[in-house]
Amino acid sequence: MLVTVYEVIGIMSAVVAVLMLGSRNVQIQLSMYAIQIWLIVAETAFFAWQYKQPHFYIIALTLLLQRAILVPLFLHGIARRLNVTRDPGMIVPAPLTMHLSVLLFGLSFFVGQHLPMPSAVSGPIVIASATGSISHLFSGLVMMLTRRLALSQIVGFLTLENGVYLFALSQTDGLPLLMEMAVFIDILGAVMIAGVLMFSIKKSFEHIDVSRLKELKH
Amino acid sequence: MMAVGVYVLFFACVLLLPPCVIGVIRKGKALMQGRVGAPLSQPFFDLFKLLGKDQTVSQTTTWIFRSSCAMNLATTLIIAGIVPWLSFKPIFPGDDLFLLLYLLALCRFMTILSALDSGSPFGAFAASREAFLSMLVEPAMFISLGALALIAHSTSLHVVFDLSLPCSTYDVPVWLAAAAALFLGSIVDLSRMPIDDPTTHLELTMVHEAMIIENSGKNLALVEFTHFLRMAVVYGLISQCMMHAVGRLVEFNQLTAAIVSVVSILGMAVLTVWIESVFVKLRWRSTPEFIAYAMTMSFFATGGALIGDMYARHGL
Amino acid sequence: MNKQLLASVILVPFAVAAAMIALNQTLNMQLLASVILIPFAVASAAFLLEDLKQIGRVVAFLSWMQLGLIALIVYPLFAGQTERLWLSADFYLTRMDACFVLLTGVVASCALTHGHLFYQREMLAERPPTEKSVRFNYMFAMFFVLAMYAVYLCKNLGWLWICVEFTTLLSAPLVFFSRTKHALEATWKYLIICSVGISFALLGTLFIFASGQHGAVSGGTLRIDELIAIAPKLDPRLLRFGFIFCLLGYGTKAGMFPLHSWLPDAHSEAPAPSSALLSGSLLNCALFSIWRISEVVAASQTSTLMSNVTVWLGTITVLAASLFLIRQYSLKRLFAYSSIENVGVMLVAIGLNAGWLFFLQAVNHSIAKVSLFLLSGNIVQATGKKNLPQQTGLMASAPVWAVLMTMSAFAGTGAPPFGTFLSEWLILMKAMDQHYYVNVALVIIGLSLSFIVVCKHIGKIILGAPNPNLQYFRPLASSAIPALLVISSLCLGLFSGAALWSGTL
Repeated sequence: MLVTVYEVIGIMSAVVAVLMLGSRNVQIQLSMYAIQIWLIVAETAFFAWQYKQPHFYIIALTLLLQRAILVPLFLHGIARRLNVTRDPGMIVPAPLTMHLSVLLFGLSFFVGQHLPMPSAVSGPIVIASATGSISHLFSGLVMMLTRRLALSQIVGFLTLENGVYLFALSQTDGLPLLMEMAVFIDILGAVMIAGVLMFSIKKSFEHIDVSRLKELKH
Repeated sequence: MMAVGVYVLFFACVLLLPPCVIGVIRKGKALMQGRVGAPLSQPFFDLFKLLGKDQTVSQTTTWIFRSSCAMNLATTLIIAGIVPWLSFKPIFPGDDLFLLLYLLALCRFMTILSALDSGSPFGAFAASREAFLSMLVEPAMFISLGALALIAHSTSLHVVFDLSLPCSTYDVPVWLAAAAALFLGSIVDLSRMPIDDPTTHLELTMVHEAMIIENSGKNLALVEFTHFLRMAVVYGLISQCMMHAVGRLVEFNQLTAAIVSVVSILGMAVLTVWIESVFVKLRWRSTPEFIAYAMTMSFFATGGALIGDMYARHGL
Repeated sequence: MNKQLLASVILVPFAVAAAMIALNQTLNMQLLASVILIPFAVASAAFLLEDLKQIGRVVAFLSWMQLGLIALIVYPLFAGQTERLWLSADFYLTRMDACFVLLTGVVASCALTHGHLFYQREMLAERPPTEKSVRFNYMFAMFFVLAMYAVYLCKNLGWLWICVEFTTLLSAPLVFFSRTKHALEATWKYLIICSVGISFALLGTLFIFASGQHGAVSGGTLRIDELIAIAPKLDPRLLRFGFIFCLLGYGTKAGMFPLHSWLPDAHSEAPAPSSALLSGSLLNCALFSIWRISEVVAASQTSTLMSNVTVWLGTITVLAASLFLIRQYSLKRLFAYSSIENVGVMLVAIGLNAGWLFFLQAVNHSIAKVSLFLLSGNIVQATGKKNLPQQTGLMASAPVWAVLMTMSAFAGTGAPPFGTFLSEWLILMKAMDQHYYVNVALVIIGLSLSFIVVCKHIGKIILGAPNPNLQYFRPLASSAIPALLVISSLCLGLFSGAALWSGTL
């Protein structure tokens, strides 16, 4: 089995995603998200170089500008202005979610094994990259489900989207260029709107603890 | 002739390397703080000074307190003997992975007993903290060493750390993850920042220092040397892991391996300097979260070892 | 925000589109460019005009004009002149898409016209909304409608996803209009739950893409017609995964049980015209996406399993919604749950692979639901309260509204002689034909239960002593649109039966 450079970077990014779950500190979460996305940019660039598909360089550049620079700065700015540093406690303690995520990493390896997808460009079965992408999905999902801070939920959503993008990259050799651009714009829009909403939530509720947003019942 | 030379070199390292390591750490921290600091050989002078001084022993202590230092030193010397923490050491019998961990635990046990024996509240306080932390971090170290044993299909440490065994691509992440887990575990085990500040004067925040606070004179010299030797051995293990991870790309011959192992122990000391100067001490309630990272890395190491094993057996 | 700066930012695409109109040769392209131009015109009007009443009139007029332009564009499809209206390989209109586009246009125009009145009245209330929020509301509403038109145009699964995500993003500000705590909570839930769902839909789209790569086409394809053509050769495992993920993802957007929790909050916290837009057209978009994908699956090997899954999910949604309807305390939440129920019925129709029945149910549901939401908006404005127990005696205080509300409620829950009854009847007959007996029984139980419960709630509102808190206003203007919708629902019920039996559809 061939394990290429870009798969190794993908696995590293998935490991960083798992480690991101273990922290309650917002700054650390954002820094680890930034590391993750830089690794994904590197992975895209390696993919482009290895399989001679130049349009992936453009995608890597867009990812770099948008999600490696713009989004972390934006979220940092929001965290500073909202004056949040720590998650106010969680449904499940943070280290336990990290361990759960490691188990899901193992599960994603088994799921990746059973997906029969030789893609036309990258040759033989690439299980490591499938593992990396599916574990990104699981990590993002666990983060969204177990966090009470609105900002952490956004970071979890972004990790989820990273997982979907990596899945596209590894299993289907990426979506066509124009579609990828539009997808990126969509995600950026979602993050921007969520940022605006968080400001309003902080102003109205004096906290951004979404588990306390319980006033609307059946 | 070569064998005698190796023995002599090894014992020289056991005696001389630990104070060098701690000298590097202290000088490095001083430089990062903008001071000139004590010279690199200061720990040697400190040990000699302490060996010549008289002891003040509390009257409430028993034989446990008086003999624990010597017992600790003996156990740590055995550890230094059986663990392949340098690339060139001679092979002593009984080098099992579980024996290593139990011996480390035995040291800790004797230290805790002596701290409790001295009757001071600070000692008891620190002993309970140390017990709590070591209970949390032992699984991390155990599991990561176990992952390495899985790769080598043996629990004998010499077989695990043998540089002449073939190292496939799948093993590299396991070595790296095990090195990370051991490093994070060593921060807890050796009571460095961000778990415990070794230069603090506040007894209520001490973990390791308060346990040895009652020792003086010769006992203190023995205790300090034991701590330095333990630090050197653990850093040696970690640098061996890193050398194995790198060994996929670079072939080491005997001389290079020996020099690299000694230099990398000093390199780990420099890394410790950086970490101690940059990071602040964690709140006590946050230390389990720190240890959780070590556990996660050890889980990754085991997972990697299992997957590599599976692929080797099914021949993919 | 600097008004001039904003206006100039909006006017740039306006100018570009105007240039497109002037320079284009074909009539169709000119009309299309005009359709795209209109939201930009509205946006610039919303920010340049001083008087909110004028903005409202401009918006209403432009929305009807947009509908007229679209009708002109799609006329060739219905006159039998062409099979499909071609924009590019990824974007074209067939007859069914055109029907949905027209439906969306009707819903949008009705909602925005009534909205003109609604926002006028809203500014006179105790705590009026800021002018800026009303302007933004108009702007986002028009762009939201444009995004929904784009969904129907897409014949490529990737672009479909992108357009559906755009509708989510553009409708979040609509829910957020009143800036209260409850509205914030509803918008946050909407954004988060729908975004997660949409991510799963993207994953499903990728699976389908991969199944194409595996199966027949070397580079993989996302175009619907190509996928249908090679459907038997698609990898069945991947296609199954893809369909399930897409169903979960787009189903979240459509309000399928158990992913519906955002729907009652969002539809009740949005102002009445926006609720009407959301319930009346956004749910159709999401269900239409599911329909597109089920077209591909129906042509492949795994069709029966997927039909089963969809039909069962629809049935469970109907049952769950009818159970939730029993204890309701708020008028708009009541109708939101009724929307969920109709979504369940439409899912059953999709599962049965009955496209035109799905459309029929969509038309009837949308018309009735828009009327219901507009009327409940009136009532909430008149009484100043949202809770059901405080709204009684409607017949005595506001007779026109009461009559219209009753008739719309009957239309919404599927009572004859309204159109909803006919479409539900046909769907159930088709289900019986395909041997889904248990599902039919369960759906009948659900629909009956919901009818009884909704009637009970409506009865409590309508009957009783005259309500002293209710300030009846402008009976003619405020009931014009709902009356129009109720009459059209009645006509659909009475006259489409004849068309159906004669076999036109």
